[in-house]
Amino acid sequence: MPFKGDQLLLCGVQYATYALEVWVCLSLVWGGRWRRLKGLGLYVTSLFLLDGVARPAVSNFFGAKSTPFYYFYWTTDVVFVLGAFAVICGFLRRACTREEKLWSFVRLLLIFVFLIVLGVSTLSLTRHYANLYILYIIELSQNLYFTCLVLNTLLYVMLQQLAIDDDELGLLSCGMGVQFAGEAACFALLHLTADSTMARVLTQFLAPCCTLAMLWIWIYAIGKTPQTVSDRYEPRRDEGLVEAVADQ
Amino acid sequence: MFMAALILMVSTGLFFFYLQAVCQKILRRQFTQEFFQSIVNANRLEFPSVRKAIEDFGSPVEYPRLTVTLKCDFLALTYLLKNAANVNQRYSYEERLLILYFKLVFVSLVTRHWLKLRETPAALKLTAILQYFANVVGERVNTVRFGNLAASDYLLNL
Repeated sequence: MPFKGDQLLLCGVQYATYALEVWVCLSLVWGGRWRRLKGLGLYVTSLFLLDGVARPAVSNFFGAKSTPFYYFYWTTDVVFVLGAFAVICGFLRRACTREEKLWSFVRLLLIFVFLIVLGVSTLSLTRHYANLYILYIIELSQNLYFTCLVLNTLLYVMLQQLAIDDDELGLLSCGMGVQFAGEAACFALLHLTADSTMARVLTQFLAPCCTLAMLWIWIYAIGKTPQTVSDRYEPRRDEGLVEAVADQ
Repeated sequence: MFMAALILMVSTGLFFFYLQAVCQKILRRQFTQEFFQSIVNANRLEFPSVRKAIEDFGSPVEYPRLTVTLKCDFLALTYLLKNAANVNQRYSYEERLLILYFKLVFVSLVTRHWLKLRETPAALKLTAILQYFANVVGERVNTVRFGNLAASDYLLNL
């Protein structure tokens, strides 16, 4: 089937996204930052494996318009959003490394917010009784998207307020923000325009472009920002023992 | 309907806010030394005097001169970014983003002038972007000068 111009462009953006996902993983491994950014690495790897490998495989096997692919697509979508929520939790933990009291409060807040999102998504089901599973995960994924955007903004404000000098974390948070803000705006636009063709086409391009922007910002954050003090200097386990012996 | 409109407005605002934050983070990059001074002197750029005027007197020089000065410096520096000691002869992604950011801030400067709002913050942002560009150019030229090749060798090898 011949490609139309917009489909070709969309395809290009999609492959550029896969390439950047691989690039993020490689720069984490080569830069030696894998251990410190485990959560981020896992998230990007799963993004690549599910979106770049598993989805096309399922689509080829069952067909792009089949029910199994439809179910698989939305289930993996909710996995992505849950992963993103976990990554933001990790970022918040990193921001509160030196503020244990604040972290205990933030941890409670995160649990509370997650339970609220689950509750609100469940409540919305009372209006629909058919096809509960898909409706539930679509609702949950949309609610979680907006929650992640709010939490990410909270993280950014916290970084500014606590004057945490961690440029890498700041940039990673900005990348997340671009992705979630763009996607949330797309969802809202679709809702407002009652799923119009124009909004659908715009969303089709904007959403992958936001992911591209996020990955590019992450690559910049991983590759260009200087290593933080905690990264450069990690005390060895036996260092305390050596100091104690030296004191004696 | 109301919630969707609210989410659309908040999300769009946050989208641009985060893009601006990324640009500001890039501009915060620390260079090993102040490379921009030599580039400013060699090319007679005027943005440091604009910034000094703002810092000393709290307001920029007269508006027409300010816009022309900043625009001319921008053109000179973007040309140098692309062509001076740049083997690839093209902008990097962060430079492209900052060029776009400069243009947007410039539009905001013009809008502020029309609306009779304070132009100082926008003018300071523009000078910060120009300083970053001058630092990048200076760093590249410095690398060529002190690398294995002299600047003349480099030009002969092009």
